[in-house]
Amino acid sequence: MTSSGLRPTPVDGYPSPTSRLQIATEDILRAHVPTSGTPPVLNRNLHLQFLLRNLQQGFPERYTSQDASQPWLIFWTLQGFSTLGIGLDDRTKRRAIDTILAMQHPEGGFGGGPGQVAHLLPTYAAVCSLAIAGKPGPGGGWDEIDRAKMHAWFLSLKQPDGSFKVSSDGEVDVRGLYCLLVCATILNIMTATLLAGIPEVIASCQTYEGGFGSASFGEWAFGEDGQSPDYAAPRPTLGEAHGGYTFCATAAWALIQPYVRLYASSPSPNLSLAPPAVNMRSLARWYAAMQGGRAELGGLRGRTNKLVDGCYAWWVGGGAAVVAGMLKEMDEARSIVGECVAGDVDAKEGEGEEAKEEGWEDDDVDDSLFDRAALQEYVLCAGQHAAGGLRDKPPKHSDAYHTLYCLSGLSVAQHQVIPNTSRRIALRSSWDSAKARGREGSGMSLSDDQLSFSDGLRRESFVNALSWLEEEGTEIYVGGAVNRVNATHPLFNLTVTHTEAVMAHFYGQSLPIRRPTSRPRRKPPTA
Amino acid sequence: MSATFDDSDESKPYATDPEWADVIPVQQYEGVEPIAPIFYTEEYKDATDYFRGVVKTGEMSPRVLKLTEEIIHMNPAHYSAWQYRYRTLLALNSSLEAELELMDSFAIQFLKTYQVWHHRRLLLTALRSVDAAARELAFVARALRTDAKNYHTWSYRQWILAHFNDEDRLWPGELPWVEELLEEDVRNNSAWHHRFFVVWQSGVRRGEVDREDVLRRELAFTKEKISLAPNNPSAWNYLRGVLDHTHTPYASLTSFVQPYTVAAAPGPTDDSVVDLENPRPSAGAELPCVPALEFLADIYEAEGGEATPKAVQIWKSLADERDTIRKKYWEHRIKDALHGSQ
Repeated sequence: MTSSGLRPTPVDGYPSPTSRLQIATEDILRAHVPTSGTPPVLNRNLHLQFLLRNLQQGFPERYTSQDASQPWLIFWTLQGFSTLGIGLDDRTKRRAIDTILAMQHPEGGFGGGPGQVAHLLPTYAAVCSLAIAGKPGPGGGWDEIDRAKMHAWFLSLKQPDGSFKVSSDGEVDVRGLYCLLVCATILNIMTATLLAGIPEVIASCQTYEGGFGSASFGEWAFGEDGQSPDYAAPRPTLGEAHGGYTFCATAAWALIQPYVRLYASSPSPNLSLAPPAVNMRSLARWYAAMQGGRAELGGLRGRTNKLVDGCYAWWVGGGAAVVAGMLKEMDEARSIVGECVAGDVDAKEGEGEEAKEEGWEDDDVDDSLFDRAALQEYVLCAGQHAAGGLRDKPPKHSDAYHTLYCLSGLSVAQHQVIPNTSRRIALRSSWDSAKARGREGSGMSLSDDQLSFSDGLRRESFVNALSWLEEEGTEIYVGGAVNRVNATHPLFNLTVTHTEAVMAHFYGQSLPIRRPTSRPRRKPPTA
Repeated sequence: MSATFDDSDESKPYATDPEWADVIPVQQYEGVEPIAPIFYTEEYKDATDYFRGVVKTGEMSPRVLKLTEEIIHMNPAHYSAWQYRYRTLLALNSSLEAELELMDSFAIQFLKTYQVWHHRRLLLTALRSVDAAARELAFVARALRTDAKNYHTWSYRQWILAHFNDEDRLWPGELPWVEELLEEDVRNNSAWHHRFFVVWQSGVRRGEVDREDVLRRELAFTKEKISLAPNNPSAWNYLRGVLDHTHTPYASLTSFVQPYTVAAAPGPTDDSVVDLENPRPSAGAELPCVPALEFLADIYEAEGGEATPKAVQIWKSLADERDTIRKKYWEHRIKDALHGSQ
């Protein structure tokens, strides 16, 4: 590393509060830049001890601030173990299931603790915790989720503009929307009634910077009554583009693609309107711009002109992985449409060999939008606390939240999990529509027309979610394979294995065997 | 009568307080050995046991306001306590103005909590008063002095403006105020976003019907801010946002951008005439700057044809030399320009 590579962010001789804080932070981080010759090490055992202590002994008093986020404390811990490749014993699973189920609200959804009001965010954490610890059958946790009540509760939170409150009397934002879509996807309760208007809401939260803000203001276009909406009225974004909201909006946009496509191809009440669109170019640009320079060890920030923070390794790194996957999918769709109009999609398998000869860029198997090695350095060199657990940045302490999201960020920097065309084809061909319909959980009665729409939506939601697989041969391990953590599904932040198991259950499907796929590589990835 | 402001007896546990003897406390976990438990203080455990007790019976009374206030003080993220408090206020027909006043100290103390700002929003919605909204704008401005980029505070301000949408009382102060903030910190991205919200996203302000005029004003303003600190991404993003929003070609700014894409010329420039349309980089500017190079490449890419290689050349220099951390992104741009769908 040359010293010029570590030059501070240029201030142009015009300092301001932002640049002063930035330079002071770079001065701290610079001391953590790895020296050549000593590869950074993931202190796996220390982090496992940290997680185990939290799980078994519990959290110290300062975590009282998380009392309304108890499913999150459990999810951060369980998924931390999954990421580090540690399975849970049966007793721990049992206790986790019982604890989570104690937080299920009698009217549907999960609260932040027993007796608390149901809320979309802890509902995501509860469902994902059960995906990790639960199983089918009595006492297994999965079948104790009241899906019909959850769906009815979701509908009770829906606003005239298509957005959702996070809880009764709660705020509206895209975090809630993301959490709802994850639950609806996993649990087979994605109905057209639930999804109506969501694409427009997501699109309206994209800011001029390319990333997404917290919510949009819908009152001018959709009053309280929701009658005769004025689609031309502005729906301004509340709050600037932000890593957490941008992740949620990006993943929500990916999860709702089957609905967007089906809706566009079916008779629509609003034919005069252009379908809602997210600007993927400006979104990709925004994600890339969030990576800090070498002096910040390539960490990720959450907003323009703010500081890097270990948790954005996941929110921004994971969101960038979703965009990279969607861009790849769009590329493939274009080339299939362009070159193989009436042909068999399968024939495209193995295609690309000739294309690789054409230019330098096809040698590159790495579709990511950011510097994966640099981000790993940030997590390993600045994100780890000497006493175990991971953190925002030095000299801060570690905590449960940063521990998971630093590890998840390390995971998206090591692995590429992206949509896989042959997997999509295999999932479609093994799809059992009758079983999936029989396992539908919302309990809504539908007309024949609606049935065929919802059959299509159900299949495509399932296929869309489970076609994301790790692209073998694209791993990069800074510090060597000894630092490897498990891959995580960027739409859910669960392992692909956990996602498959829980979705196979709720859709009544038996999954085709996964064959390892890989793209040939010319040179080994370097770190 | 006002139990809410009564701070005597604050150390007495509910369990031994005769006033609460009629309430049956509810333990958090019954018959479950919870995993990953939190070690609460006795005080917190006591209060939340009684909170669960009153929720169970549906009691809404002045003492419930006292109880929820205490819980919120110990844990401002307890959204169920907030919700129950709000419903109790409505049920008791309590003064929402008094509640708002109480909230002033909360908001400053717990600036980063969603609930303190959302609670204010509920109160303001119920109050339906532009006077109250105007006071809120002043309050928010004070709160932002403590934390100039607080996300909830900013989005709350934007909600106030849009919800009450008062052209006489609320909107007129926004632009001068944003300019003050950018004067203090030209890199405050929240302030730039607010400017975009006010000028472009929320309808047309009084006196701003001539959009061409507004566009000229915004471009002049932004160029001036860029000239002070050319490496400031907030200003460049605003510039791009304005151009995109008004469908103005980036190429219309070629002569402005050019001087920022080359190393600074030593000594004074030949230009004896100051070009007000195109302010030049300040003396301290570190040039060439990445945002200007990126902007110029976008101009070349949009032009297409023979200009495309010029764009590619800039992206290569960014990827290999000037902005290597974003190598993957610049390579993606090259790939997209050469093989993309355009």
